[in-house]
Amino acid sequence: MCSAILIKLCLQSITRMTLYFCYLCLFLNPSGDVRSEQQYQQQKFLHQSPGPPYRKDQKRGDSRGKGRGGWQGEHQSSSEEMPRYITVSTFAQARAAEIKAMLKAVAQKSSNSLVFQTLPRHMRRRAMSHNIKRLPRRLQEVARKEAEKAVHQKKEQSKTKCRKARRRHVNLVAEFNRRQRKNIWLETHIWHAKRFHMVKKWGYCLGNSPTEKCYRACYRAMTNHCLLQDLSYYCCVELTGKENELLKQLARICSVDAGLTFGAASCLSGRFQGSLNLYRADRYPEDMLGPVTFIWKPRDGSENRQLWIWMHPALKQDILNELKAIFQCSDPEEICIPEPITTLNQEEKQMDVVQSLGKKRKKEGKEGDKAVPVKKIIGDGTRDPFQSYSWVSQTTGIVISDQTMEILRYRLIGPLSHSVLTETLKAASIQTVRTMACWILLFSSFVDNDKVRQLYLEGVPVECAHSFIWDQDICKNVTENKISEQELNKMRAQLLVPGSQLDLGPCESKIPILLVQQPGKMAGEDRPGWGSGWDIYLPKGWGMAFWIPFIYRGVRVGGLQEASKHSEYQRIPHTPDDFPDCPAGMQFAKELESSLLDKFKRRPPAKRANYVKLGTLSPFICPWGQLVKSWEERMKASEEFVHPSSPHAEHCATEGHGFCDPKPEVVKEASPETGEVEETMEISSEDAIKTEGDTGTQDFGERGEAVRSDFIVLRSEKLLMQLSAWCYPTSGKDRRPRLVSQLGGKEMTEDVLLPILMSYPRALVWVNLSLLRKGNPESHAMICIPTEDDLLHLSKDRLFCGPQEPKHRDIFKHKVQKLKENKRKKKEEDNVKAQESNPPSVPEKETTEECKDLVLGLWSGTLPDVTSHCSRTLLGYVTRGDFSLATGCGEALGFVSLTGLLYMLHSQPADKKGLVLLRTPASLQYRFARLSIEV
Amino acid sequence: MVRFKNRYVLCEVLSEDPRCRQCIEDRAVGLAVRDAIARAHGDYGLGCCCVSFTVKYLNAYTGTVLLRCRKDFQRLLSSALPLVRHLEGRGQRFPCALRTLHVGGTIRTCQKFLIQYNRRQLLLLLQNCTNEGEFLHIVNTVNCILESFYLMAFCALANNFPMCI
Repeated sequence: MCSAILIKLCLQSITRMTLYFCYLCLFLNPSGDVRSEQQYQQQKFLHQSPGPPYRKDQKRGDSRGKGRGGWQGEHQSSSEEMPRYITVSTFAQARAAEIKAMLKAVAQKSSNSLVFQTLPRHMRRRAMSHNIKRLPRRLQEVARKEAEKAVHQKKEQSKTKCRKARRRHVNLVAEFNRRQRKNIWLETHIWHAKRFHMVKKWGYCLGNSPTEKCYRACYRAMTNHCLLQDLSYYCCVELTGKENELLKQLARICSVDAGLTFGAASCLSGRFQGSLNLYRADRYPEDMLGPVTFIWKPRDGSENRQLWIWMHPALKQDILNELKAIFQCSDPEEICIPEPITTLNQEEKQMDVVQSLGKKRKKEGKEGDKAVPVKKIIGDGTRDPFQSYSWVSQTTGIVISDQTMEILRYRLIGPLSHSVLTETLKAASIQTVRTMACWILLFSSFVDNDKVRQLYLEGVPVECAHSFIWDQDICKNVTENKISEQELNKMRAQLLVPGSQLDLGPCESKIPILLVQQPGKMAGEDRPGWGSGWDIYLPKGWGMAFWIPFIYRGVRVGGLQEASKHSEYQRIPHTPDDFPDCPAGMQFAKELESSLLDKFKRRPPAKRANYVKLGTLSPFICPWGQLVKSWEERMKASEEFVHPSSPHAEHCATEGHGFCDPKPEVVKEASPETGEVEETMEISSEDAIKTEGDTGTQDFGERGEAVRSDFIVLRSEKLLMQLSAWCYPTSGKDRRPRLVSQLGGKEMTEDVLLPILMSYPRALVWVNLSLLRKGNPESHAMICIPTEDDLLHLSKDRLFCGPQEPKHRDIFKHKVQKLKENKRKKKEEDNVKAQESNPPSVPEKETTEECKDLVLGLWSGTLPDVTSHCSRTLLGYVTRGDFSLATGCGEALGFVSLTGLLYMLHSQPADKKGLVLLRTPASLQYRFARLSIEV
Repeated sequence: MVRFKNRYVLCEVLSEDPRCRQCIEDRAVGLAVRDAIARAHGDYGLGCCCVSFTVKYLNAYTGTVLLRCRKDFQRLLSSALPLVRHLEGRGQRFPCALRTLHVGGTIRTCQKFLIQYNRRQLLLLLQNCTNEGEFLHIVNTVNCILESFYLMAFCALANNFPMCI
């Protein structure tokens, strides 16, 4: 072997040279350094060998040699470090160091797999991960370490009880009760949790959407079959008192202008359920509280009337506080309670508490002795039992009581919902299901203290609307005397003929229910009555007893997502998403923005859309306030026609500012627009002079207030009708003379427009848009006014998809880059300082802190004028948009500025009225859409 | 498994000139090997071998080099390795030779081999010691690095030198 000889040779020569070498080194280091080169070398090895494995180290690679740390350590780049001669000891050291590095590398596990997974397949044994001794002995040590680590990582589960004990009914119920202390569970929670993606919202655990694929199936169920929803999370507030007193105060929080009120004749009789929007007292078009539905208890002789107001849980606190304020109610702790109902109510609650507390104590006291099982929570589990949930007005004797979770509410949507109801009835006579049995009784019109009646609210006389569900005593009684499933099954098992009908006789439960018909889609002309169905109100505790029979009739069950789709296809605003003027809606918008922003930031920077370049100012939230403000300013500018050049100059300035390279096309498009503005300004200014006196006299009293608030949503029925008529083209192919004449109204002239503009300077209008051709709108998409050229192009070319927005310049890019560079530099400096081991005395943070919220692709700081930022003037935003399965094209719902809408309608040609452009936040393409207002 | 299979060639740089170790660098070794392949197998061979050819590990003190290439072209590489005649670096050129120690399918097997090999080398080193002081010096320094775990191994070695202990 030549190498052996060679090494031998080397060694011999080296041993002779060692002494010289040492001297030489000492000689070469005249600075008085105590360390000799050799020692230095040795230290180096010592230092390097325990380095981390090379993979992690490669990233660090400042210099090539150093970067290969760990097992690839000893590669020196400079000749100073490499001795010119080798000695035996250094050579041995080098070998030893290498051995050590290699050993370390070999001993270290490189992959993420567990030890037994690295074994070849033929050496694997059953349950290796469980029993370490099944592994080969050489791996047992490593596996033991791994197992320990896994134990530490695992969540500390209380293993005090075995699974059998945990799953025992008593313990299970106790556990469930504990878990629903924070978020209320509906009675169908367990059923839903097995089949739905659950979300925690508004203090409830709700099913968001089914886990199975059923987007289209749910739509089909809504249109052709039957869709079932659990709406028990809706909150009910009960008002009891004299009719006059109630109506007098309630009239303050709603307005006749916006449609029906609490006092509508048909609703007052109890035959119909009504829906309306509540406002703060005497503040009508501002300070919206939220939409509610209400139902009066039919008159039963006594002068006290009962009224249920149903609302979304997100709105509950605001509305409840407002109700308490207008009825001047105080908490009942301070005063004695005159109403028997409330005392009963309270007693019941307190009794419940006492019971549950007692049981707990008992359970703690003597374990194993299961004398009394823990009671399942029925109703609201989060309630503080000692806090009262009813408030009494001292002056009028009106009682407000919070009936949240006291009454369950299911909704059946679709044409087959009626037959589902009747079929459930039919089954009652055949099957032995107890709930079914009660239905027979429900149908008999025989009225007894215990007997209950079925009621239809529509097409039936008022007497049919009587239900014992209004009577809390009966509801309570029914809930408490429910025969448990277990007992029922036991009885069924004891039947002589298996499978025959179980006759409970007098102990059969009679459950009061209330059926309310939902009218479905009422506005608009297409698909009338779409999404109609029935709401069924039940006393608490009976949820599953009714739920399962419905499921057996073949209904499909939907969650929150299906509910939002339902309202989307009905083109009605969804609570609370589409009420930007009520506090819950604002809250929702904020939450949505933060969640979308988080999602945006989670994407890798290179894959994010640059919204600044796309000209989207706010992709995650709709700046309604700024929108209406800028339209108001535009209008004002047009009124003050004294300085004609100022708006023009402003316009140009903003355009020049916004576009990176103002192509000639853009300029061309922009200039006629500004011309138009001037034109209308001329018109309106003339009229302003004319009607100035009129507007002064016909001040509605809300005008001054409207200026103060940020924005309002227009809900005046008359005005919406008028607008709706104006939105349709008055000539050409799409013209609908019948409708226009039906909606009637005046021609769109200035003397009609101006009072509207005057009285509602900052209003938004709920509109729906359907796309003419391609396009799938998303939420936060922008609704823009098409220019004349666009319309001309469209009339020439029917296949014209829409104009494109020119790319904008990212004015924040260099700032972001600078920030990044600064950060990097600082980091390097820190590194250097750390290496020099003198801590940085003066931290330089001024530069980084001033623009910390800078994210590439998003507009930072205050937004510029939102309407004129892009090449097409902005009109409004889409709040919900999707491809509509009902109409077969993209449909969107959103709000536009009233001022902007009127301006657009006024300036558009007769056959193109109501045509707008739609642009999604992450695209430059505008799409044509038809705007309409359905009342 | 679906992956590109590689071969790792563990070599040792042999040189009579101790200064040669100065120019044992990634670049120099890679260039020298490539040059040898080009000479032996022409452009085709060079193209084949260079697909994933890198120097994965290099230790200038011991002269160990680990090369990687695709499994299919390992024969081309190993046939060209004896043709490496010198390393160039820093404007200097030193005659040397590459000796193939091991060919493995993974880095890990090469590392394992290297441990064994280095052990044998240390043993050889000790056996060839001529005087006692030198022997003790080596044992001490090695112990210093490898600590107690390998003390046993060296005790076993020391049996070959009964006069020391």
